[in-house]
Amino acid sequence: MRKKKHSYSMIWAIFSILIVFGIIKYASPYAFMILLGKDHTMPTPSTLMLWYMILGVLGALVYVSTSDLKWANFLSFMLPGEDDRTKKLLQKIIVLALPLLLGWFVYSGTVPGTASPVELRIQHPTLLQKYENMENPFAHVSEELKEKYTEEGKHLYQQNCRPCHGSKADGNGPFANSFRLRPINFTDPGTIGTVVESFVFWRIMEGGPGLPDGSTPWDSAMPSWEDTLTDEQVWKIIMGEYATAGVVPRQREEAE
Amino acid sequence: MDMKKDKKISFFQITWCLCVLVVTCAICTQSGYAQTSQIFRNYSSVVPGKIPENQDAISAGKKIYEKHCYYCHGIKGDGNGSDALRLNPKPRNFTRNEYKIRSTLLGELPTDEDLFRIISSGIEGTAMPFWNSLTINERWQVVYYIKTFNKEFENSKNPESSSVANVIPESPESIKIGSELFKDAKCVNCHGEDGRADGKITTTLEGVWDLPYRARNLTKSWLFKGGHTSSDIHRTLTTGFNESPMGSYAEYLSHEDRWHLAHYVKSISKTMDTDVVLLSYIVETDLPTGPDDPIWESISSIEIPLAGQIIAKPRLWMPSVNSIQVKSFFSDNYIVFLLEWDDKTNEQNETYSDAVAIQFPTVIPESSEKPYFAMGGSGKGVTIWQWRAYDEVQELAKKELGQVDDSVTATDGGSSVDSDEESSDDEGEVAPDKIEEASESEQTEGVVEEARPLFTNFAKMREMNAKGFKNVSVQPSKSQLTKSLGVWKNGKWKVMVTSPIVTNEKKLDIQFEDGKLIPYALAVWDGSNQEIGGLKSISSWYYLNLEKVIPNSVYFYVIIAIIIGTSIQFWVIGRVRRFPPKVNEE
Repeated sequence: MRKKKHSYSMIWAIFSILIVFGIIKYASPYAFMILLGKDHTMPTPSTLMLWYMILGVLGALVYVSTSDLKWANFLSFMLPGEDDRTKKLLQKIIVLALPLLLGWFVYSGTVPGTASPVELRIQHPTLLQKYENMENPFAHVSEELKEKYTEEGKHLYQQNCRPCHGSKADGNGPFANSFRLRPINFTDPGTIGTVVESFVFWRIMEGGPGLPDGSTPWDSAMPSWEDTLTDEQVWKIIMGEYATAGVVPRQREEAE
Repeated sequence: MDMKKDKKISFFQITWCLCVLVVTCAICTQSGYAQTSQIFRNYSSVVPGKIPENQDAISAGKKIYEKHCYYCHGIKGDGNGSDALRLNPKPRNFTRNEYKIRSTLLGELPTDEDLFRIISSGIEGTAMPFWNSLTINERWQVVYYIKTFNKEFENSKNPESSSVANVIPESPESIKIGSELFKDAKCVNCHGEDGRADGKITTTLEGVWDLPYRARNLTKSWLFKGGHTSSDIHRTLTTGFNESPMGSYAEYLSHEDRWHLAHYVKSISKTMDTDVVLLSYIVETDLPTGPDDPIWESISSIEIPLAGQIIAKPRLWMPSVNSIQVKSFFSDNYIVFLLEWDDKTNEQNETYSDAVAIQFPTVIPESSEKPYFAMGGSGKGVTIWQWRAYDEVQELAKKELGQVDDSVTATDGGSSVDSDEESSDDEGEVAPDKIEEASESEQTEGVVEEARPLFTNFAKMREMNAKGFKNVSVQPSKSQLTKSLGVWKNGKWKVMVTSPIVTNEKKLDIQFEDGKLIPYALAVWDGSNQEIGGLKSISSWYYLNLEKVIPNSVYFYVIIAIIIGTSIQFWVIGRVRRFPPKVNEE
C-alpha cells in the first residue's frame, strides 16, 4: 500500500558530515597551498577543525529537524529494516561503528607516549625602559649621508644577518631550516614594520638571551651582537635592513 | 496528545545532538602536533615571458643588480662582493665562463633560459636565494646585465641546449646497470663508494691541496644543485659543470647509460626525514652492543638540519656538517643513542678532532620553558656529553695496554680526557681557569652502571655542565658515566652513545623519565674543517620521548566507553522503536 517506507536521511546526514570532515582534513590543505601559492600543504589547525566540525554537525541536525516530517524520517532509520537489505546492513554498520569509534577516541585520548610539544605563540616583548627613548643617531643627517650609511648597513646586513634572515630579508637564509623557530621574515609587514627602530636596536644588541621572562616560546636563536658590533654599525644595519626588506619603521608619536 | 509527542521528539533531539557533539569534539581534538619548518626549494625549469634583449633592459638590469646582487657577486661581477668571504661555495664569478648549471655542452656558455632558471629557483643549501621578489621582467633584465660582464656572450650567439629526449623510465634493471656504471665511469673516485663525496680525488683536492672543489654528497637529494629529478641528474651528466672536476659524460657514456646512471644516483639519494619528537623505543631483551649492531636497522632515524654556530664569538660561517641523524633505544637501566653524520675524512689530531655532543637540560623542564638552547643560561643549566674521535682512540689504546679499565678510571682522574686537554678542547672560548670540576656532587657509592659488564669496549665521553657558554664545568671523573663508541666508514660517522637512565647525581645529570618530552640538542665538529670550540654546527632544541608501556587501565577505560556507548545506542533505538515517530499527515 504505502510504497515509500524507508527513509535514508540519517545516512545522508552522516555521509555529508563525513564529506565535510574529508574536505577540511584532506582537501583544504592542498586548496590553500594552491590559493596562497605556497610550496607545502597548509594543514587546518585542530581548533579550527573542531569548530568547523561542530558547525557541520549542527548544520546537519538543524536541517533534519526543520520539520516534523524530516525529523521523523531521520529517526525512522532506527526502526526495523524488515525486507530492505541495504537498510539492515547499514544499520548493523552504524550499530557496530559508533561504539568502536567511541572506544577508539577513549584509547587515543588516554594512551600515553605520543605527546607532542605545545607550540606557543610568539609573544612580543615590551621594549625595555633603557631603549625607550633611544634614537637613531643618523636620523637627522643629510639625505646623501643617509644613503651612504644605508648602503653600508646593507653590506653589514648581508655579512652578518644573511645566513639566517636571507639576502632578501625574507627569513629564508641557508641556515634558516635549522632553527625550528624560523628566523623572522622582515618583508612581512607585521614584523619590523610595526616597531620603532630602537626596538630593533634592542633585539639586535641583546638577541635571544636578552628576552625578558615570559617571552615565549624560548626558542629564539637570535644572537646577541653586543660583543661584535658597535652601536653605529647596528644603527646602520637597521637602516640597511629596512631598506632591504622594503618596509619603514613605525614612527614614534610626537609628544606635545 | 500532540503536545506530548512534541516533547518527546525534542527530548530525543537534545540527547542526539549532545551525543554527536561529544563524538565530534573527540575526533577533532586528536591532532595538533608541533611541526618542523623546513622548506627546500626545487629547481624549476619553467621559463615564462622572455623580453627582448636591448640597452634599456640592460640598464634596468644594472640598477637591480646594484641593489640586490652585488653584495655577493661584486660590483664588477667577479664574485668578490663584500659578503663573499663568509660564503662557501663562493658566489659565481660572471666574468668567466664558470657557469655550472646549464643545458649546453661542456665549456659552452649557458642559455638565457638557464640563467633565468637559476635566478628564479635559487640554489638550495647555498646563499643564492630564489628571487621571487623580482618580477619576471626584472629577472630577465638582470640576466641581460649579467651577460655584459663576460665578452664571450657577445661573440657567441644563442648556444644550443642539449636534448633530454628518449627518456628511459626508471626500473630495477636500469638502477642495477647504473650501479655498475657508477664504478666503471669512476664516479666513486670523487663521489665515494656510497656517494658521500668521500672519494680520494675529493679529499685530495679539497683537503690536501685546499682547492674550492667539493664533490656533491649524492645521498642528500635536497642539496643537489640544479634539481634532483632523474632528468636533472641526466642533464648534469651530459653537460658537466664548467671549470670544475665534474666533466661531461656525453662522449664517455651513451645516452641510455647516462639515464641508467641518473636513475642509480636518484636511487641512493634520500629526502630529509625530520621530526620534532624522537621516540626512544623500549627494548625487552638486549640493547645494541655497538654502532654496527643490526638491531639498529629495525628502527628508523630522524634527520636534524644543522647550522653554523653564529650565536656567539667565535662564529662558524661556513660549516662542514649540515645534518645529523639520530635514533634511540632504552631499557630498564640504560638509554642508548645512535648518531650518524656524513664526514668525508677521518683525520684526527689532538687539536682538531671530529666530535659530536648531545645536550639535555639538567632537569627536565615541567613547563615548556627550556634553558637557552646554546649551552644553557644563567638560571637553567644543561648537561652536555661530548665524544671526540681523537680522545676515543687514545683511551681505547690505553685500555688495550691494560693501563686503564673501567673500575680504575674512576680514581685515576681519567687522565686521557680530563687533565691536559681541557684548555685546547671543545669550549675554546673558556679560559682554562674557569673550568672547575663541579664540586657540589654528592658522594656516590656503587653507581648503578658498574654493576653490569655492559659496553666494556666503549670509551668514556666527556660529561659537562653548562650555564651559558662562558660557564662550563667538566664533571668529576667519578661522575663520568656516559660511554660511546664511534666507527667511520665510507664518509660517515656512526657514534653510539650510552648512559644510565638514572644516576645518583641529580644536580649534574639528567634523570630520564618515560612519557615525558625531554628537550635535546646536538652539535657536530669536523676536525678537518678546523672546527673546534665554538666553531661547530648546531641544532636548536628537539624533543626526546621515551616510549611508555601502555598501562592496562587504558583497555579498561576503552571497554567501559564501548559498553556505555552501546547501552546509550540501544536505549535510543529501543526508545524510537517503542514510540515510533509519527507525523501528522496534515
